[in-house]
Amino acid sequence: MSSGGLQLENISRRLGARSLLHEISLEVPAGECLALLGPSGCGKTTTLRVVAGLDPVSSGRIWLQGRDITRLDPGRRQVGMVFQSYALYPHLSVEGNLELGLEIRRVTAAERHRRISTILELLQLVELRHRRPAQLSGGQRQRVALARALLRQPDIVLLDEPMSNLDAQLRDNLRPELRRLLCGGRHPVLYVTHDQQEAMGIADRIAVMSNGFIQQLGTARDLYDQPVNRFVAEFLGRPAINLLLPQQGHQLGLRPEHIRSVNTGGLEAKLTGREWLGNQQLLNLETKRGQLKMLTSADWTPPTELRVSWDQGRELWFEEQSGERLK
Amino acid sequence: MNFISHFQGQPFATNKVESYSRGKSLSLLLLAPALALLAIVFVWPLLRYGWLSFHADSVITGLVAIPNGGANWIRLLSDGRFWQDALQTLRFAGVSVGLELVLGLALALALHQRGPGRGVLRVLCLLPWALPTTVMALGWRWIFNDPHGPINALLLQLGLPSQGFLSTPSTTWLVSVLADVWKTTPFVALLLLAGLQSIPTDLEEAMRLEGASPWQRLRRLTLPLLIPYLGLCCLFRVAQAMGVFDLIQVLTDGGPAGSTESLALYAYLNAMRFLDFGYSASVMLGMFLLLLVLSALVLVVQRRFQQQQELT
Repeated sequence: MSSGGLQLENISRRLGARSLLHEISLEVPAGECLALLGPSGCGKTTTLRVVAGLDPVSSGRIWLQGRDITRLDPGRRQVGMVFQSYALYPHLSVEGNLELGLEIRRVTAAERHRRISTILELLQLVELRHRRPAQLSGGQRQRVALARALLRQPDIVLLDEPMSNLDAQLRDNLRPELRRLLCGGRHPVLYVTHDQQEAMGIADRIAVMSNGFIQQLGTARDLYDQPVNRFVAEFLGRPAINLLLPQQGHQLGLRPEHIRSVNTGGLEAKLTGREWLGNQQLLNLETKRGQLKMLTSADWTPPTELRVSWDQGRELWFEEQSGERLK
Repeated sequence: MNFISHFQGQPFATNKVESYSRGKSLSLLLLAPALALLAIVFVWPLLRYGWLSFHADSVITGLVAIPNGGANWIRLLSDGRFWQDALQTLRFAGVSVGLELVLGLALALALHQRGPGRGVLRVLCLLPWALPTTVMALGWRWIFNDPHGPINALLLQLGLPSQGFLSTPSTTWLVSVLADVWKTTPFVALLLLAGLQSIPTDLEEAMRLEGASPWQRLRRLTLPLLIPYLGLCCLFRVAQAMGVFDLIQVLTDGGPAGSTESLALYAYLNAMRFLDFGYSASVMLGMFLLLLVLSALVLVVQRRFQQQQELT
């Protein structure tokens, strides 16, 4: 295997008869941030825990910075992890939370002090260093958890839904911040989320997962424009893609922003509802090939009966049974 | 302001002062039944004992309470048997509670592990605690019976002489500690198990990622988070062990030669055997004061422990 970064080679994890992960293979070079995106129960958190060593694998191999870590004890893997709950030690101050790990690794007092003050500075935690976790806000706790993960100079940083405990506005503000702190370093980053916006905003590439399989791995753009199957097409994009009623075993998928009103041709449609989104509006249309959502400019007043078509070349065709995209 | 909006918090309260006083009187009202019960079963007997301890009330006075100033209390201060019993009770409580905490913690840690049959094991561990003390004490008395008990039977079979476990002060004391530890360790374990289960598993996982050994995880994470529970166990158990009565009465009746007599047994003897109710009240209250001091001590130590952590 090549050195540097993280490689997963055909990782499977079975629990009794249940298969949690199925032949997962992926590669994250140093400096890249890969998001694992999917609905709950898809295996994204299991993948993270397998890399951390908290869950064992049934088969396959894990390589980190050229080392085979498949059977290595979690404490010897050099992973920095941010838990969904942040998992801060409630009985210790911010400083104590950071120091405990270094003490366990027998870092000298002077070196501990130097590293801790650097990271406190970097994450703007200096003023908070004597507080207990209970005395911190959600955003501050997240920063402490991040500081603790980065402090051990890890070979990889793992984040498990780090934003799920924060309110929406804070999330928007933190995304670029998190990207600045995490990505482009000497370590790869694995970021688990169920929020596509978060995945697109933070990660360089995204792996969409479901049922223990990686459905597709690529840049956000690839996934959005060239989904390999119906699942990926449906999972990415808000409002979601329109799937028309199947015809002769094929199904047409149209993104709401690619639908246009036309004077002649196209489909006959009846307006059944309007959602005003501020800068745009979402029209609910009824056609003989199914429901359609159409994104248009906010100031247009649509008639109740209209004809719609779509931007040529932007439509996606899927095989009805398998859901595979036809090219 | 109605009842519902009171619980919905400040924004609905038109007048903060009014809502505050309302809240206070409401909480007093809700507490009243519990306070009344406490007054009947706790405050009243205590006051009654206080009153009685300043009276002579025995067979000699024809069981009529006659004020005798502080005579009972002066007698208590110079009563060698009281202080001897106080020391014996303290020693009993200290050693058994200490053992129970250590063994209870070990048991709780074992029961906390995932594994097959965990539920059954937990129930089995609780059995000794569910047994009535009298029954359990009779059982131990039989086990150490000289020469027919199973232990002596074993010694005899091995060709060794049978031992009078319950007629030698040192071994009798050990048997009483053993019986108490056997019975109440499950209680301690159960409380500590509840404490262990309140610790989120991801904290443990975070420690594993730091490379902490099981011992380091116990010392740096589990024990500090268990301190409130350990303090609670200590408080419960010290108070109970200081008042030990039924176990001692059935197992040894304070013997041999009063070497296992506890304060509660002495107070009982004064009242029920010597029929000196006035002095018995003094003994009882003397024991109560000792307990108060001890409980305060446990609380101070626990507080100190927690503060020490805050500093580090």
